Amino acid sequence: MKFVATLGGQSHVVEVAPDHGRYRVTIDERVWEIDARLRGDGIYSLLIDGRSYVADVSVQDGVTLVDVGGESYAVQVEEQARHIIRTRGGAGGGHAAQTLTAPLPGKITHVAVAVGDAVKAGDPLVVIEAMKMENELRAKGAGTVAEVRVAAGATVNPGDVLVVIE
Amino acid sequence: MPRLTKVLVANRGEIAVRVMRACRELGIATVAVFSEVDREALHVQEADEAYCIGPAPAAESYLRIDTLIGVARQAGAQAIHPGYGFLAENAGFVETCAAAGLVFVGPPASAIRAVGSKTAARRLAREVDVAAVPGTIDPLKSDDEARRVAREIGYPVMVKAALGGGGKGMRLVRAEAELESALRMARGEASAAFGDASIYLERVIEQPRHIEVQILADAAGHVIHLGERECSIQRRHQKLVEESPSSFVDAAMRERLGAAACRLARAAGYVNAGTVEFLVDADRNFYFLEMNTRLQVEHPVTELVTGIDLVHQQLRIAGGEPLAFAQADVRQRGWAIEARINAEDPFGGWLPSPGTITGLRPAAGPWVRDDSGVYEGYTVPRFYDTLLAKLIVWGADRASAIERMARALAEYRIVGVRTTIPVLERIMADAEFRAGHLSTAFMDRMAPTLQAAEGRHESIAIVAAVLAEVDRLTRAALPPAAPAEAPEWRLGATAGWQRAGWRR
Repeated sequence: MKFVATLGGQSHVVEVAPDHGRYRVTIDERVWEIDARLRGDGIYSLLIDGRSYVADVSVQDGVTLVDVGGESYAVQVEEQARHIIRTRGGAGGGHAAQTLTAPLPGKITHVAVAVGDAVKAGDPLVVIEAMKMENELRAKGAGTVAEVRVAAGATVNPGDVLVVIE
Repeated sequence: MPRLTKVLVANRGEIAVRVMRACRELGIATVAVFSEVDREALHVQEADEAYCIGPAPAAESYLRIDTLIGVARQAGAQAIHPGYGFLAENAGFVETCAAAGLVFVGPPASAIRAVGSKTAARRLAREVDVAAVPGTIDPLKSDDEARRVAREIGYPVMVKAALGGGGKGMRLVRAEAELESALRMARGEASAAFGDASIYLERVIEQPRHIEVQILADAAGHVIHLGERECSIQRRHQKLVEESPSSFVDAAMRERLGAAACRLARAAGYVNAGTVEFLVDADRNFYFLEMNTRLQVEHPVTELVTGIDLVHQQLRIAGGEPLAFAQADVRQRGWAIEARINAEDPFGGWLPSPGTITGLRPAAGPWVRDDSGVYEGYTVPRFYDTLLAKLIVWGADRASAIERMARALAEYRIVGVRTTIPVLERIMADAEFRAGHLSTAFMDRMAPTLQAAEGRHESIAIVAAVLAEVDRLTRAALPPAAPAEAPEWRLGATAGWQRAGWRR
């Protein structure tokens, strides 16, 4: 099985050959012999050249989060065939628009911008109350507010579009 | 007053479990209450009886005084323990309990009124000669008044909710331009959290330490203190790491702090466990900040260094017993540290991270205590605060307590929700923290330097992520397993559910 793993903007080709509870993993041509125990709870035990690692693995919004040795990594994993199809024919790229989506479920308590407002990076856009805290969501870059899709008092779910900036 | 035999715990999460543990140790039966989303919460399972009290929003369940009193009476409880948060510092609730013939495990309503409002507490402190942080004594009437007062005491100023706590309804304002939005947010948070939008202003002490004193008072008028806790490691006024004793406090200062705290408690007619908070400047001047008329989240560090179980004491005092020891009997031994494991993503703007805990392995081993409200398979609801568990360790001295905490944090594994654990580990490794150079500005300095990873384990992370995908694809290719039998505990009634069997 061949995969492409993307981490910190860099893609690596990873080949995996399962072999009776062990795995032969090739990352960019370097070979790793791994004795892995993959438990359903996401706490994996890996033995590599006698060294013991415990990695906590979960998948959120299509990204695999790995906590190991006190470090947290976000890795995008896809089968190589899929990766090639997706990246070939390169769909334009360079979207200038910024879409602010709700990162978590909660209630909108304040909307700081209106359509037509000019914003710069760091400007507060929306305040969302979740788990007893008011969290200010800010603009990632400069632009003009094209759409405001929520009002104070609205209940939102993760992924709901709140504000669009062009 | 009769000894307590059955107590209703009007709270949820780790603190409800903590209180129930103490009850069980004292032979007191426990009654849990839960909202509709908390049917599977740990505190429901740890209680002898459990009753549903309404929908998820706290205002419709955990804050419903009439429902709580009704459940307590129906279940035959003599007392209500409020935990912290929710109704813990609500004088009206205390009075309603008394009117219904129920004991409130906490101070009398008069003491809550005397110090519960920060503005009233500041007035009381002045009367008993305890210095408070300069600022307004009375709640602000308008934005105009706020602007005028802020100019008088000088920026930066702190906007605070009169009934606040836990950093809610609190905003730092560095310049007048920020004042209006800070007032709006503080009022909004204050009325949502405490049902009262009153706010006041205080001068900001730059780079202060947050040091607080635990007190115990019985109904006969004995007031003693159990030494201090330092809680300087905070983010947006939410404490993250607490310890006892404080490396900044020597025996003489401890005595002065303790005496000031006891003076205030006596003046307020205080009974039960309480905490007097101080801000301490670089010259070791201390200023009274507020009194918390309840059990504190960080109470375990005091328990570990004094050997005194604070919840036992609360229950005994509420049952009318006098304190069984005097000030001279209280000794601090060694060092204790607490780290708060919150469902927040420290590398994603610290946003709350509700969700299902798929994997959980708490730390254990010598001198490690895990005060948790969660378990593997539990779904953290989005309606309440983010605290999942408190990890508390003891060591013979500060350095060994820090090493033990670092070890325990490395052991503690939670999968499925993001937590503060990686940041807590970095705090334990931080040179300034280890040297005891603490201030409430510590996290402001550290937070911008926080990186999710430094690349030391990049290849391992890639291996683990790809193997997870292989595992997922392999499982998807297998025929589906036979459906498990419906576990019968899921078929029980929602309200009035009672655990089967006995617990020793």
